[in-house]
Amino acid sequence: MNDEITKETHDSVFIEDRRKAELEAPAKQPDHANLNALYLRYLVLPAIFLTVALLGGLRIANDGAFVFFRPALVCLIFAAILSVLFARSGVLRLEGWFSESFTPLKNAANGFAIATLFAAAVQIFNSLLPEQGLTFWIVAFCFFWTLWNNLFADFDPRKLFRSLGGLFGLAFVAKYLILANLTAPGGKTWFEALTENPGQEAITRLLDLPRYAGSTGYIQFFAVGLFLLGLYLFPATTNDRN
Amino acid sequence: MKEKYIQILGIALVLIYGIFVVFLYAAEPRSLEEISSKAIETVQNAATKGQVITGTYEIDQAKFNEGLNAFRQNNFVLARDAFAKADPERRDAKTQYYIAYSFYRQGWGRLSNDDAMFKQGLESLERVDFIDKNFRSDDANLQLRTPAELKNEIEEGLRVTADDFNPLKVLRERK
Repeated sequence: MNDEITKETHDSVFIEDRRKAELEAPAKQPDHANLNALYLRYLVLPAIFLTVALLGGLRIANDGAFVFFRPALVCLIFAAILSVLFARSGVLRLEGWFSESFTPLKNAANGFAIATLFAAAVQIFNSLLPEQGLTFWIVAFCFFWTLWNNLFADFDPRKLFRSLGGLFGLAFVAKYLILANLTAPGGKTWFEALTENPGQEAITRLLDLPRYAGSTGYIQFFAVGLFLLGLYLFPATTNDRN
Repeated sequence: MKEKYIQILGIALVLIYGIFVVFLYAAEPRSLEEISSKAIETVQNAATKGQVITGTYEIDQAKFNEGLNAFRQNNFVLARDAFAKADPERRDAKTQYYIAYSFYRQGWGRLSNDDAMFKQGLESLERVDFIDKNFRSDDANLQLRTPAELKNEIEEGLRVTADDFNPLKVLRERK
């Protein structure tokens, strides 16, 4: 009898231990996931967005020199509208990034991370808008029209992501494929340019198109891709319970 | 790693990388090699601005002496270059006065004056007035010791009067 009782007690302790082990095992996984989320949120994403901010205004001149093109005021306005869109669509939930229940350090770190997102957004518009002239105003108007309409549309993060992908893709094609191919190559005299490429030269002068090296398009393609990747990875909230 | 360390690391990353990006757009280096030289220049400018803010700004005396020697040898272009390097923030009345004087002496002509030089001299004199309203030069070699005297001389030179056609004018001396 005593042996049976001892065996039952032993079994129950064993089962209890297994249950404990089972309960503890999945608990370790979220810790690991949380750590990865922290690395993503405070190190990877700011690095991605700051790289976009660095590359967004970089152009390569025909002689291979760097040209750092500062963003126009309209880029800041578009980035501000885009930020509102992020908040409205749920890509970015402000209450999940700033809260009285967070430590001041967490709020500050979140603030810095969001500042990098804004800087990247400014530079992505700087990248996609033509630098000057009539084309600048046309594309800027198209951007404004689209963003303004989006402000009043019902969005979820996926729809917004698709919309932005389409918008940025179209703007990229317009600037770095169509307009770049209409631009006459630089480094030629006025007479040479007019005799060798009269059509391109006329369009370049008429539309006031800047002459940059082809590598500019590759850099900006990378910048746009990186921005969209950053947006895709961007968590809506930093509240770990969510 | 604890959450707060990652957050501190994140803030540091954003600050350092962000400052680097801002620096690139402010300094606009044209190549990778230029980045280091522009960085040194920016640090030097920042150090000078820091000296101005803390009230410890001083001119580079060696460059000033170099400029003064060139000024006395009538090499005004070299003198101005040395003076500009000696006082990059243009906050020293004495240096700015020498710059103004160099414009006057270079622009002065026995038959006619160089108006462009004289106008630049007036601009430099305005800076002297702004820095020190009661400035008086202690250089015995200068005949015009105060900004007011120099300003009057330059303005006289700029003005076209009947006296300009006086043939005896060729006998006058540069001050």
